[in-house]
Amino acid sequence: MAKKRQRWSTKLGIILAVAGSAVGLGNFLRFPVQAAKNGGGAFMIPYLIALFLLGIPLMWVEWTTGRFGGGYEHSSAPGIFQSLWEKNRFIKYFGIMGIFGPLLIYIYYVYIESWTLGYAFFSITGQLSQITTNTGFSDFLKSYQGITGGGFFSGTYQSVIFFLITFGVNIFVLYYGIRGGIERLCNITMPTLFIFGIILMVRVITLSAPDLAHPDWSFFNGLGFLWNPDFSALKSATVWMAAAGQIFFTLSLGMGVILTYSSYLKKEDDVVLSGLAAASTNEFAEAIVGGTIVIPAAFIFFGPTGIINVANSGAFDLGFITMPQIFNKMPWGSMFGSLWFSMLFLAAVTSSVSVAQPAIAFLEDEFNLPRNKVVAVFAAVSFLLCLPAIFFLHRGVLDDLDFWGGNFFIVLGATIEIVLLAWVFGIEKAWEEMHLGAKMRIPRIYKFIIKYITPSFLLFILGYWFINDWWKVITMEEMSRADMPYILAMRLVMLAVLVLLAVLVWKAWRKRTMNNYY
Amino acid sequence: MKTGGWIVLITTWGIVLYMFIFSFRKILKEHEQTREDE
Repeated sequence: MAKKRQRWSTKLGIILAVAGSAVGLGNFLRFPVQAAKNGGGAFMIPYLIALFLLGIPLMWVEWTTGRFGGGYEHSSAPGIFQSLWEKNRFIKYFGIMGIFGPLLIYIYYVYIESWTLGYAFFSITGQLSQITTNTGFSDFLKSYQGITGGGFFSGTYQSVIFFLITFGVNIFVLYYGIRGGIERLCNITMPTLFIFGIILMVRVITLSAPDLAHPDWSFFNGLGFLWNPDFSALKSATVWMAAAGQIFFTLSLGMGVILTYSSYLKKEDDVVLSGLAAASTNEFAEAIVGGTIVIPAAFIFFGPTGIINVANSGAFDLGFITMPQIFNKMPWGSMFGSLWFSMLFLAAVTSSVSVAQPAIAFLEDEFNLPRNKVVAVFAAVSFLLCLPAIFFLHRGVLDDLDFWGGNFFIVLGATIEIVLLAWVFGIEKAWEEMHLGAKMRIPRIYKFIIKYITPSFLLFILGYWFINDWWKVITMEEMSRADMPYILAMRLVMLAVLVLLAVLVWKAWRKRTMNNYY
Repeated sequence: MKTGGWIVLITTWGIVLYMFIFSFRKILKEHEQTREDE
């Protein structure tokens, strides 16, 4: 007997869930680093162009495609793609990317998420406030990750404990499904996250220059470091690629998450305004909250020279090494530090459950299995897959997973999605489908953008990657010889997972055909 | 912060806030309506 299909209880629920999926560590750590490294305010020009030509159109495409597939009782990309192109026997296999990509992200993201929980705990208990130097914080992080002893932790058991708690929280939420788990989580965490973010924003804005010898190390000059435009940066293709990449990454596009979430909508539910609301919530968290906390705060305490090293140190160092130092120098630093890491944890947990859901939805829908069994299988498999990211972090396994899951597959996935909807399904039908139950009209220019501009933009990004990077990545040219066996082993495991997913898709459709036959 | 920085910041924040307020005003209105109907 077919199960009753899960649904969102309110429209606000799905908007917060999609926004929750999009708002993650990238909004608060990756965005300011990318902007500061790529021309400051000038970065915002390609960023906004990418938002309107790539981000928002793809948001609408994914919401529409997902809701359409949901009408055929499919909640994951293989079934959704098949419902868009019924006559093609192979398109469902392309949809595997909508399960595999998010699964790749899940198996390393949960571990990073657990660091934020661990650091929130270390902030409250005052462990972080005892460290005074940059090297001390760097050693603390490495020791926590088990990369070096550092004298702070003996072994990785503390990081494993926080990982287990985080993993447990994710599975608990997923067990309660769309309405009782994910929607309830996002209804609570999203407003809380924004409250925490605004408190931190106000704290940074009200910071006065701590060093009397350097009155110019002020909040507004810190803001200037991030926002003053260096227009010469616009001549560089890398800056444009970085902006497009940031938009992709930040809006959770091409992953298959939005497809899955919107498949639980009803046919007459609006997708246009909801998609815009989810995108604008994410942009609020990124450009306004994310752009006001980290870089200006770091500028106030490290000055114009120090901030360059901070920006070049990368997003993780900024979050886990620089920020705790800044909080240590503030009055009530432990409280603000725990608020910062709690905010990151809340942002991360709504993202991690979202990347787990496509795999769960696939097993639930295509094999008609009960959710508790599916979640148990998912927990067991994903737990095993998480282990290499934890224990071989220092071998570059996590970075390699991030490249494939968080970069390559999302661009490829989005390209397939948009070509499928705009070209195979047809832009006229797609336009009509988008406006079904819509609470606003999309400007007509977007018909042209969705059909020509966005796919060309995506093909350009893929082409750029193939020309510049693919050989280096495949042959692991930039990795040390000692790390290669670990990366290669992980890639082979991932290939096996990909093949397994292809077999499962084949089996699911075979079962479906047999059932229809009898 | 230079004038150029202020222009970029105000433009970006303006666009983002406009999108945010525009979409949520409509959605929250409808959300309230649905609650009242229920």
